[in-house]
Amino acid sequence: MTNPWVAFVLVPMIKIVVILGTVVLATAYMSFFERRLVGFLQIRLGPNRVGWFGVLQPIADALKLFAKEDIVPSRVEKIVYLSGPVLIIVPSLVVFSVIPFGPPTTLFGLLPEPIAPFVTDINISVLFVMGVSSFGIYGIILGGWASNNKFSLMGGLRSAAQLISYEVPMGFAVVAVLLMAGSLSLVDIIEAQRQAHVWFVFPGIVAFFIYFVCGIAETNRNPFDLPEAEAELVGGFHTEYSGMKFAFYFLAEYANMILISSMATVLFFGGWLRPFPSWGWLSFLDVVPPFLWFVAKVAGFLYCYIWFRGTFPRVRFDQLMALGWKVFIPVSLANLMVIGAVIVLLGGGR
Amino acid sequence: MSVRKLLTDVLHLDLLAGLWQTARFSMSRKATVEYPEKRLEPAPRFRGMFGFSEERCTTCRACERACPIKIIHIESHLEDVEVDGKKRRKPVLDRYDIDVKRCMFCGLCEEACPTKPKAVWLTTKTYELATYERDMALYFTKERLQSWEGVVAYEGVVPPAAGQTPEDLGGKGGKE
Repeated sequence: MTNPWVAFVLVPMIKIVVILGTVVLATAYMSFFERRLVGFLQIRLGPNRVGWFGVLQPIADALKLFAKEDIVPSRVEKIVYLSGPVLIIVPSLVVFSVIPFGPPTTLFGLLPEPIAPFVTDINISVLFVMGVSSFGIYGIILGGWASNNKFSLMGGLRSAAQLISYEVPMGFAVVAVLLMAGSLSLVDIIEAQRQAHVWFVFPGIVAFFIYFVCGIAETNRNPFDLPEAEAELVGGFHTEYSGMKFAFYFLAEYANMILISSMATVLFFGGWLRPFPSWGWLSFLDVVPPFLWFVAKVAGFLYCYIWFRGTFPRVRFDQLMALGWKVFIPVSLANLMVIGAVIVLLGGGR
Repeated sequence: MSVRKLLTDVLHLDLLAGLWQTARFSMSRKATVEYPEKRLEPAPRFRGMFGFSEERCTTCRACERACPIKIIHIESHLEDVEVDGKKRRKPVLDRYDIDVKRCMFCGLCEEACPTKPKAVWLTTKTYELATYERDMALYFTKERLQSWEGVVAYEGVVPPAAGQTPEDLGGKGGKE
């Protein structure tokens, strides 16, 4: 790959198109699997009419949303109203540029030299992911405010309070992993888990639980979906959005779910590593490509997301705030101190 | 504080019971009946669409009078008929229409019908009444009312014989 045009333009472009297409398709099918699985959890069948077992349902949904009339209510703040869906979909897709889906691969010998199956690996990936994904909250707040609707405004306000409350313990939980790995690069974090011979979920079980629960709250999912609590707020911040604008909010929510699951996989479950990467007698598991290990772990987390949605009732807003400020922040801080102390005692401070 | 209470209060392990419950339900048989392919059989006394029998009808117009919103329209004339060699004047139905789109299925027409078995009844087990037009598709003439497949007349509640109590008929009341 001596030609710079190939190395710096063509290959990244192909990667971007492939990853973007995969993520968007995965979000669409995530909605299908959610409807199917929630149906199963409620002893229903879920959508099974469009195509074989309903697999064409997301495509039918997308066509329907494309064909819908584009309604802009009168007396909305038009520029802000129209920028809301853009502000939420762009960050939630951009962050996938640093998620490491697998180690450098030659695609079973198809390529002359190994190519990393992710767009880039920057040395501040974790900060990049947390910063950019937090930016999506602007889409919710501004969309809720600009809709000129009290339900949308209430949803936006709740979402802001929730995001601020849960960003903090989530950050502390991630810092615990950074202490163990000693790097902010996601690829280096996976490498550190290989060198430590253990996934970080075992020393950081508390951090993992805090991270995952905060992740559910960050993505506005059950049982923390207060911003779109249909019982009291109609549709929450997206009450006034319809057609493709609603589809963007919808896609962004599912993309964020996949992002949180991917980050949990990378930070705590060893990314593309097989279980117990140092145990030689488990090496027969290496026949499964690393990419599939990554996908399987992410799918497990997404299953948990839907499972929780089908099981737990929505919490009250004061319970939500109390859980965030009175439980998760102290516990995550204490966990951080314990992990830091253990690392110093073991002489691991770099 | 017992260990169990500690686990419940601090770690919220009781949430696992809920997760276990839903996981079990997701594996169990689904309650959904996939309607156009499979149908549920209504209960024997299900109050469905009208059935009507022209043979049993005596054109007494009791149902027409009983109808609270007057949607049953009856017209008849007398005809000379030869029965067993005797000349008799017998009423013949010209028209027996029910404007079903306004019907509330109260069943008062069935109650009022004096024939036995009833000439008009509501227990045909037919519930597929969706149509694309409102006016004519749900205006049923006597031919349409008699065209249900497999319609069974509702026999009516058997009156208790002398000396019988509701318990003997298996009804409620009295001791369980």
